[in-house]
Amino acid sequence: MFKEIKQVLQEQFQYRDLIFRMASFEIKAKYQIHYLGAIWQILNPSIQIAIYWFVFGLGIRGGNPVTTKLGEVPFFLWMLMGLIPWFFISPSIVGGSNSVHQKVSLVSKMKFPISLLPTTKLFVNSFQFITMLSLLFIVLFIYGIYPTLHWIQLVYYIGCLFIFLFSFALLSSTIATLVRDYQMLLQSMMRMLLYLSPILWDPNGDRVPDWISNILKLNPFYYILTGIRSSFLGESWFFEDMTYTIYFWLFTFALLYFGAKTHLKFRNNFMDYL
Amino acid sequence: MNLKVEFKNVYKSFSMHAKQSQKLLELFSLNKKGKKEKRFQAVRNVSFKVFEGESVGIIGLNGSGKSTLSNLLAQVIQPTSGNIDIYGETSLIAISAGLNKNLNGLENIQLKCMMHGISKEDIKRLTPDIVKFADIGDHIYQPVKNYSSGMKSRLGFAIAVHTDPDILIIDEALSVGDSTFAEKCLIKMNEFKEKGKTIFFVSHSAGQVKRFCNKAIWMHYGEIKSFGDIQEVTSVYQEFIKWFNNLTETEKARYKKESLEEQAVLSHKDKNSRDTAFLKNIAVILPVILFGVLVVLQ
Repeated sequence: MFKEIKQVLQEQFQYRDLIFRMASFEIKAKYQIHYLGAIWQILNPSIQIAIYWFVFGLGIRGGNPVTTKLGEVPFFLWMLMGLIPWFFISPSIVGGSNSVHQKVSLVSKMKFPISLLPTTKLFVNSFQFITMLSLLFIVLFIYGIYPTLHWIQLVYYIGCLFIFLFSFALLSSTIATLVRDYQMLLQSMMRMLLYLSPILWDPNGDRVPDWISNILKLNPFYYILTGIRSSFLGESWFFEDMTYTIYFWLFTFALLYFGAKTHLKFRNNFMDYL
Repeated sequence: MNLKVEFKNVYKSFSMHAKQSQKLLELFSLNKKGKKEKRFQAVRNVSFKVFEGESVGIIGLNGSGKSTLSNLLAQVIQPTSGNIDIYGETSLIAISAGLNKNLNGLENIQLKCMMHGISKEDIKRLTPDIVKFADIGDHIYQPVKNYSSGMKSRLGFAIAVHTDPDILIIDEALSVGDSTFAEKCLIKMNEFKEKGKTIFFVSHSAGQVKRFCNKAIWMHYGEIKSFGDIQEVTSVYQEFIKWFNNLTETEKARYKKESLEEQAVLSHKDKNSRDTAFLKNIAVILPVILFGVLVVLQ
């Protein structure tokens, strides 16, 4: 049962150098075609942040802060803590799923396993994520929020994020190569999930019945996003809600299991499906 | 002489109904057992042996399975049944050379060499040679999207021959380059031959193949019609072409139709057991559902 998972993970580890180098080439290729180059990776999310803050913060909330367990937090900050991870999640899901279909014709003859393609995409996107995350730290300092012990959890949650995205992309990239409709479905799913995750509004507030927010919690991004936010705000530890943590890890494990299995089953024949 | 490539009863067939739903079922291994399926055999019952230092031309009409055969040789695709033994590293050169169009020539050289598993130091050492061989001047600093098709095939060919393969497979890549470059490639390929390397050269023109191959395979509707000395094979091939061109249009169409029908076969799906796999899947999914319910009921 663990044989397939072990093989795929071993490949990632064995070729880690190649993943980094391929990712750096891809980043180069991505920004070389634009006049403003790498500035776009800050400019693009900044424009989106501005518009979401304008519509949701000013327009819908009327500038009211968000009430959390530890008091009020300005909406702008609260939103940034969810939106910045989301800017990493969304393209990684869509791009990671497309990675095999996009590249398999180039690499099928090369001397490295196809399972590196989703990981490479993940690394390409994490370049922007790291930049945006450091900007977030600066903004937090400006607002007078300083590191606490809870910030250690960020390592855990960002680890969760990477493992989850890898597992998802592995399974997803196989399905997307075999059935092209899946990619379209995924894109609209991600657009929907932006509003069903605690990014732009707080589903845990008083406006929504508890049973609805509990159903929304089944979305694994809910776990990661609230986790990252509560680490920043120092609200809670991840082991306080063990049921939810176990659920998240079982879900991720299932994705990884099916991802590794289908990937290994189909990878020799990906070319036949193009 | 060392054996380099051996094909034993190799078949490659493709599914003929391209229904998306069928693929989805296959993905989740849900398709009905023992169901009949229409498949197209692009390569059927191909067996041959090729030894070190031989250069083999693969000739045949369009759609005769030449490219499928070269992809099988390059291990880009896997056979449906039968065995392929390849001793050594292969390198495939095709017209669509697989370059990243947004990167410039030099970066593509680095990237492709890297993906071939060449070390950083070796890449540094090889790059000037590759640039010199490709001979596309300052265009090497331009993104590949601005290249002409000739330049692309020059760069692709230059990289492929410098990755030092034991077995080189050339799939009509030379037909894009001009005659000066083709000449250069032929010299390089003769160099390869002298080093005792094996070359496969795919082409529909018997003339090009004759120039430097010593053996040939004639592929005809998925089967090997003739394999052996270059002179023998090309003469029977050219006789066939002459005979075929003398047929009337209706006879030609009938001949093609009959041959293609032979390639389409009905096959049974494998009846592999999936009972244990099914149990394992349940064992993975069930806990997720259980804890999902617990989360909702919290």
